[in-house]
Amino acid sequence: MASITQTAGKRRPTVRGERTNPWAYLFIAPAVGLYLVFSVWPIFRGIAMAFTDFRFIYPDTRWEFNGFANFREMWGDEDFWNAVRVTIRFTLYVLPATTILALILAVAISRVTRFAGLYRWMIYLPVILPVAVTYLMFGQLFNTKFGLINTVLRETFNIKRPPRWLDDPDYALRALALTDVWRGVGFPTLLFLIGIYGIGNELYEAASVDGASGWQQFRSITLPLLKPVFALVLLLGLSSTPMVVDPMLILTGGGPRDSTTSLGLYAYQTAFQLGDLRLGYAAAMNLVLGMSSAAIALIVFRGLRGDTDGSSGSRRLPWRRSSAESVA
Amino acid sequence: MAITTTTTTTTPATALKPSLLPDQQANRPSLWKRFWRSDWYWHLFMIVALLITFIPIIWMVSTSLKDRLGFAEDPAGLIPRHPTLINYRYMLTAVENVPIYMRNSFTLAIGTALLQVFVASLAGYAFARMHFRGKNVILTLLIVSVFIPRSGGLMALYELMTFLHLRNSLVGLILLFAANVPVPIFIMRQAFLAIPREIEEAAILDGASWFRVYRQIALPLALGGMVIVATLAFITAWSDYLVTFTMIDLDSQMTISVGIQKVLSNSYQSALTAPQFRGQLTGETSDAAMLLTATLPVIVFYALLQRWFMRGLTEGAVKL
Repeated sequence: MASITQTAGKRRPTVRGERTNPWAYLFIAPAVGLYLVFSVWPIFRGIAMAFTDFRFIYPDTRWEFNGFANFREMWGDEDFWNAVRVTIRFTLYVLPATTILALILAVAISRVTRFAGLYRWMIYLPVILPVAVTYLMFGQLFNTKFGLINTVLRETFNIKRPPRWLDDPDYALRALALTDVWRGVGFPTLLFLIGIYGIGNELYEAASVDGASGWQQFRSITLPLLKPVFALVLLLGLSSTPMVVDPMLILTGGGPRDSTTSLGLYAYQTAFQLGDLRLGYAAAMNLVLGMSSAAIALIVFRGLRGDTDGSSGSRRLPWRRSSAESVA
Repeated sequence: MAITTTTTTTTPATALKPSLLPDQQANRPSLWKRFWRSDWYWHLFMIVALLITFIPIIWMVSTSLKDRLGFAEDPAGLIPRHPTLINYRYMLTAVENVPIYMRNSFTLAIGTALLQVFVASLAGYAFARMHFRGKNVILTLLIVSVFIPRSGGLMALYELMTFLHLRNSLVGLILLFAANVPVPIFIMRQAFLAIPREIEEAAILDGASWFRVYRQIALPLALGGMVIVATLAFITAWSDYLVTFTMIDLDSQMTISVGIQKVLSNSYQSALTAPQFRGQLTGETSDAAMLLTATLPVIVFYALLQRWFMRGLTEGAVKL
């Protein structure tokens, strides 16, 4: 421990003092500095870039503002509209499936008393795997000739010509969506679980005294009280799923026949892989994508959150240790 | 989005048996037993669900233990008939770049974790203990900014990193990942708030400098928070694809999570040509071995620190 020295004339810093403590700025400087440079600046620069015709291979075009030309170009860009449709389809495949599966899994985990920790651990495992590994693994799984899925379809179900999954425009997006559900279900499960643990036993006790069945309890207690969690899950899902780029980038590169070119991927390719590396146009597309998904997410969030006050449910989290957190 | 600090008191026993809460224990006979009889069918459901979830991984493990013949005669088999380690031997001896990629991944993940713990604990300490103008405003802005969509960010980041000459540099990536500070700061702040104030007050009254109090008194007591922040940072940095893929093209700086794709497509060729392995393995089996190897460190890390990890997620998710 510190050898403590008595300094006579030193200003006594008070922990709860009213005066500004100049040390504080020094303490927050590294974190805030990093954050400003690498997180905040890109947000604003990204917005500014959307109104330029910045092509990376022509550095002079960096600040060449062109008003709304990017957005007008988008309006007439057939690839853009195709990408919008793909993105919407992808989100509609992924989000409902993920939400419902997560809810079911969370209910199941909350009902068991032993091994709940293990189940939580396992269900969250896919989330932390390196994304490339996950998608490449599914690439093998979907392999037309030797993949597990088609081998099983051929040998067990006697299907002569199973789908060519990632090589078939009709199936590719669904295969990617399945992969994304597999990867993404853990986080909402955890959120639902936090919500369910937060409900508290008293309600269920009262309900069971009144003779409510398990299903009735689920319908009339769990589901309504989970509304804030639903709102959160959908908010996070709606603001992240449409922006997904990785599975397309890793597995299909947008093909076959642009059937998996989501808007995020189209923007990515425009920025980093095609022709002039048009960062400006790509930033504009991403701005549209980000704004519209954030808007939809907020509308859904407001709608769901409106009539219930979001009671925070961190009370009974079993994996929280005794934390004697004092009120600030 | 108000920042709330809750006063929670649970008995320490819950830490040991995470699934048996005190009140649940007391109520179990009356509630769970009476109306659900027992929870066996939920276990059954979970086991089936987890089996389905884990089939891809089990298949990978099994495939990585097969040789060419084993794979050809039974590509879907989840249990290899003649397990062999030839794919792993091949990967370690005949595939280029894998050791470099792995080393880079460790550098990146550990560097990110260390830097993030450092900056987040400093800032977290200031937000927990010090008084300064703009404190609440800055904290609120940090937390709110988490919810701003980052979509346009990648293009701007690319420009920024090029401008700073930080593309193709692990240092640049470490700065980039470590800059994601709001949640870590918040976790560290909570960890410092949990320390009784009196311990530090005594030292401050005796004239110890703020940095000294932070480093020698507060930091050792906030170890839990540091572990959480480090775990989240390690896993995020190791597992990232998109940012790393965008910023790194050089083999010498590439991480395994991105390089794996390159290695796979190359090894598909060399698996058939490497002289000492000729004919013994195929692309599928060696790919499986490499995918598993790229995953192993995060799984180990995740397994060792699972309790911390769940706590970290909870603090990140619930409190915001």
